[in-house]
Amino acid sequence: MKKNSTPAKYDIFTKIALVLVLIIIGFLILLPLLNILVYSTQPSGSAIITNSLSDIVTRNIIWNTVKLGLSVAALGTLLGFIMAYTQARVEFRGKKILHIINLVPIISPPFAFATAIIVLFGRSGMITRGLFDWRPTLYGYPGLVLVLTLSFFPIAYMNLLGMLRSLDPALDEAGSSLGANKWRVFRTVTLPLLIPGFAGSFLLLFIESIADLANPLIIGGNYTVLASRAYMAINGDYDISLAAGYSSLLLLPALLVFLVQRYWAQKKSVVSVTGKPSGRPTMVTSKVAKVFLLSVTGLLTFLIVLVYLTVVLGAFVQIIGVNNEFTLEHFRYLLGGFANGAIKTTTILALVATPLAGIFGMLIAWLVIRKVRRGSEALDFLGMLGIAVPGTVIGIGYAITYNDPVKIGGVTIFPQVGGGGALLGGAIAIVMVYIIRSSPAGQRSGIAMLQQIDPAIEEASASLGAAGGKTFRLITLPLISGAFLSGLMYAFAHSMTTLSPIIFLVTPDTSILTQKILAEADQGRYGNVFALCCILIVLIMIIGGLINLLVKRTQVSIDRPMVTGR
Amino acid sequence: MAKTSGNLRLEKLTKVFGNGAEKVVAVRELSLTINPGEFVTLLGPSGCGKTTALRMIAGFESPTGGSVLLDGEDLVQLTPDKRPMGMVFQSYALFPHMTVFDNVAYGLRVKKMSATEIKKAVAEVLDSMSLSHLANRAPNQLSGGQQQRVALARAMVVRPKVLLFDEPLSNLDAKLRAQMRVEIRNIQRRLGITSIFVTHDQDEAMSLSDRIVVMRNAVVEQVGTPDEIYRRPSSVFVADFIGRSNFLAVESAAKSKAGKAKIVVSGKKMDVAAQSKALSSKRPVLLVRPESINVTAAKSSSKKLGKGVGRVTSVVFYGNHVEYTLETNEGVIVAVVSDPIYDEIVAVGKVARYSFDPSRAWLLPSDSIEAMNGERE
Repeated sequence: MKKNSTPAKYDIFTKIALVLVLIIIGFLILLPLLNILVYSTQPSGSAIITNSLSDIVTRNIIWNTVKLGLSVAALGTLLGFIMAYTQARVEFRGKKILHIINLVPIISPPFAFATAIIVLFGRSGMITRGLFDWRPTLYGYPGLVLVLTLSFFPIAYMNLLGMLRSLDPALDEAGSSLGANKWRVFRTVTLPLLIPGFAGSFLLLFIESIADLANPLIIGGNYTVLASRAYMAINGDYDISLAAGYSSLLLLPALLVFLVQRYWAQKKSVVSVTGKPSGRPTMVTSKVAKVFLLSVTGLLTFLIVLVYLTVVLGAFVQIIGVNNEFTLEHFRYLLGGFANGAIKTTTILALVATPLAGIFGMLIAWLVIRKVRRGSEALDFLGMLGIAVPGTVIGIGYAITYNDPVKIGGVTIFPQVGGGGALLGGAIAIVMVYIIRSSPAGQRSGIAMLQQIDPAIEEASASLGAAGGKTFRLITLPLISGAFLSGLMYAFAHSMTTLSPIIFLVTPDTSILTQKILAEADQGRYGNVFALCCILIVLIMIIGGLINLLVKRTQVSIDRPMVTGR
Repeated sequence: MAKTSGNLRLEKLTKVFGNGAEKVVAVRELSLTINPGEFVTLLGPSGCGKTTALRMIAGFESPTGGSVLLDGEDLVQLTPDKRPMGMVFQSYALFPHMTVFDNVAYGLRVKKMSATEIKKAVAEVLDSMSLSHLANRAPNQLSGGQQQRVALARAMVVRPKVLLFDEPLSNLDAKLRAQMRVEIRNIQRRLGITSIFVTHDQDEAMSLSDRIVVMRNAVVEQVGTPDEIYRRPSSVFVADFIGRSNFLAVESAAKSKAGKAKIVVSGKKMDVAAQSKALSSKRPVLLVRPESINVTAAKSSSKKLGKGVGRVTSVVFYGNHVEYTLETNEGVIVAVVSDPIYDEIVAVGKVARYSFDPSRAWLLPSDSIEAMNGERE
C-alpha cells in the first residue's frame, strides 16, 4: 500500500537543491565528458576509434588494458576473498591490526607501492637481488599486476567481508544439520551466496585497474595501456583529438562495467541483511584450511608492512638498499623550497574541496533516498559519474573544456578556470575535480545511512511545521553526521592522493604534491619520492584527525545501528 | 470544551499509485465530514487504503484527485509543514539525537516561540502526561509506553487543529495498549482536538471513536457510531470484520412494515429488522451475533438435525462463558453462552437446541459474501 514515502509536493528547498545539483553535475562532469566525445570525432581521434580493431598498435593497447584489468580483477578478488574469509571465519590473534593493515592501501599515495616494489623486488631489488641474487624484469605486465593487485585488493576485501558477516549463520548450520560436512557447506552454501559479491568486486577492480594512470607511468615500461597512451597524446603528441579518441575507448567500457556492477550485480545479491545475525558463524577448524588461509593472509599483510617500512626507511636514508646511511637530506631538499609550494597548494585546495564534496554528496544522497520520486536511480548514477569515469578521462575532458572560457553562441557562460592564465592560476579547476571525484564516497555512505533512518522521523519534523530545508538541517544532517564524517575523511584523503585527473590541470602557479612525486619518480630519485609520500601520509593523518575532532564536537552519538526513532 | 474550528471535510479524495497496467487504486473517492472535536477512526484490513488516506490528509502523499478542506480551506496544495496538523506515528519517530524536552519543544521552536514560552508549554504538557521526570532522557532510554506518550505530547503541544494517529498502539503489549487507549481518549476529550485514528484493531476502534469509518478495497464500506457499526452493519463484510458473526440462511423473506421483514428461518416465522437493500437481494442472510444465541440440550433422542436443532462439533469452556460450534441445516453456528452452568453444558457429538431473540437479529443482503471469503487470508 505504501509505495514510497515522498511528500505531497516538492517543496521549494527540494526544487532549488535539485536544480542546483543538476547544474553542478552538468559543469563538473557532463560538459567535460561531452567535450571528450565531441573532440574524439575530429580526424585523429576518430581515426583511432574507427581503426581500433584493424590497427595493430591500437589493438595491442586495448588488449593490454583489458588483459591488465582482467588479471588484477581476478587476482585481487581472490586475494580479497581469502583475506575476508580468514578475517570472518578463522580464530587467531591480532585480527584487528590485520584488518587495519589490509585497509591502508586504499588511501595510500599512488606511487608508494610502485616505487617500494621496484626497490624491493626489481632488477636490483633488496630482496630479489640482495637475498636471492635474482634479477627479474619487473617493468611491464608482471610489475603492474603485482602493484595494482596490492593497491586494489582491499576493495574486494571490504566488499566480501561485509557480505560474509551479514550471511545468516543459520544457513551454514542448516547445511550441516542436513548432513553436509564443512567443505561441502562451504562449496554449496557459502560460495554460491557470495557470487554477487565476487561479481561486484571483480567489476570494481576491473574499472579501477584499467583507469589507473600513475602505476603504468612508473612501472609500465613498454606495456602501454589506454590511460598512459592518452596521457602521452597530450604530453607527447600534443594532440587533443587523439587524447579524446583514446579517452573514449577507455570511457565506454568503464561506464558499461560500472553500470553492470551497480544495477545488475548489486541487485542479484540474495544475502539477507537482517542486521542481526542469529548466532555465531561456524569457524574453520580444519588444520589444512587454517594453515593455508593464515599463510596467504600473513604473507600479504607482511608484504604491505614491508612496503610501508620501505617508504619510511627510504625517506630517511641516502639510497635505500645501496647506501643505507641515515640522512635528512631528502626532507631538507623538499621542505627547503622544492615542494613547499606544492604542499601548501595541495593542502589548501583539498581543504576547500573537502567540505564542498561532503555536503554535495550528502545532498545527492538525501535527494535520491527521500525526495526524488521518478528518476532517483538516474540522479544516483549522475552523482556517481565522478568515480565511474576514469580519472585520466576527466582530466583530459577538463583540459579541453576549461582551458578556455565556456561559450554558448559567443556568450561566456563559464569563465576559464583551468590552465595557465586562468583565474587563481587554474586552482578552481583542480578544486572542481577534487569535488567530483570525492563526493561519490559521501553519497554512498549517506545513502547507506539514510536507508537505515525511518522516514517517519523526517515526516514528524515536517508535520511539526519544519519546511524541507529546516528538516534537512535540524534532523537529517545531525543523524547522518557519522556518515558525513567518514565521507569527509575519505574526500580529503582522496583529494590529497589523486593524480590522474589533475595531472592535466597543474600549472606553474598551482603545483600539486602527487604531480611532484611523479616527476621525482620519473627521474629515479626514489629517496625524494619516499619522503614526499611520508609528508603526504602525515598531512592526511594530521588533517584527518582535525576534521574528526571538529565534526565530532558537533556530532551526536547515536549508539544504535538502526535509527528508528523508537 | 467546544471548539469552533477543526472542521475537516474530505471530498472525493482519491489516490492511484503507478500507472498503466500496474495501476493500483489505494483510495477511491473518499468523502467524509468530521466535526470539530470529533474522534473518527479509519478501520479496515491491511491494504484497504486507510493509511494512504491519513497520509493524504497529513500531506505526505499527494492525492490523485479530490480535496482536503479544513474549516473550508483546501489544503491539497500545502506541504505537510504548512498544515495545522499533528501526527503520531506507528514507529513514534522520536528524534533520536534530542532529549525528550527537545523533542517536545521542536515544533514550538520551529514556530519561533520565545524560550520562556516554550519552557512553560513543554513543562505543562510533560506534566500532564506524567513525563516531567524524563525530560532530559534520550528517546532510546525510554520504554515503549513512555516513547508513545512523548510522541503524543510532541504532536499536541503545538495545538494542531487536527491530530492524526497512524496505528500508534500497534507496537505496545496488550495491557499497555488498553491503558494508552483510555489516556488518548481522555486527553483528546479534554483538549477537544479533531482526531483521526487509523487502525486495523476493532477493539481500538470501538473503544476510542465517536464514529468509525470502515474501509475495504479503497472504498468506504460504512460510516457510523460504534453501536451502529456493530448492531446495524451495512454489509456482510462489515459484520464479519467487526466482532464475530453467524450468517443464517433464510428460507423466505417478505416486506413487513418500514425497516422490517417477515422471514422464515429454520422453519420458524419471525419479524426482524432489515437493512434497506436486504429484500432486493436474491438470498438475504440473517446476522445473529454468537452472544445472542442460546444453546440447550435437546430433549429428543433422535439424532436427526432439524428445526432449531444442531449437532455440537466443539465446546470450549472459558470459565465465564462457553463457546459452542454447531452443525445445523442453516450452516455452521457459533454460540457464546455466558455464565454457564457447568452440568448443563452440552457435550461434543450431542444434538442441541439453539434459539435467539428476533429483535437481536439483522437481515443483510448476501451479495458480497463470496467476494469476502475470497479476500480473507
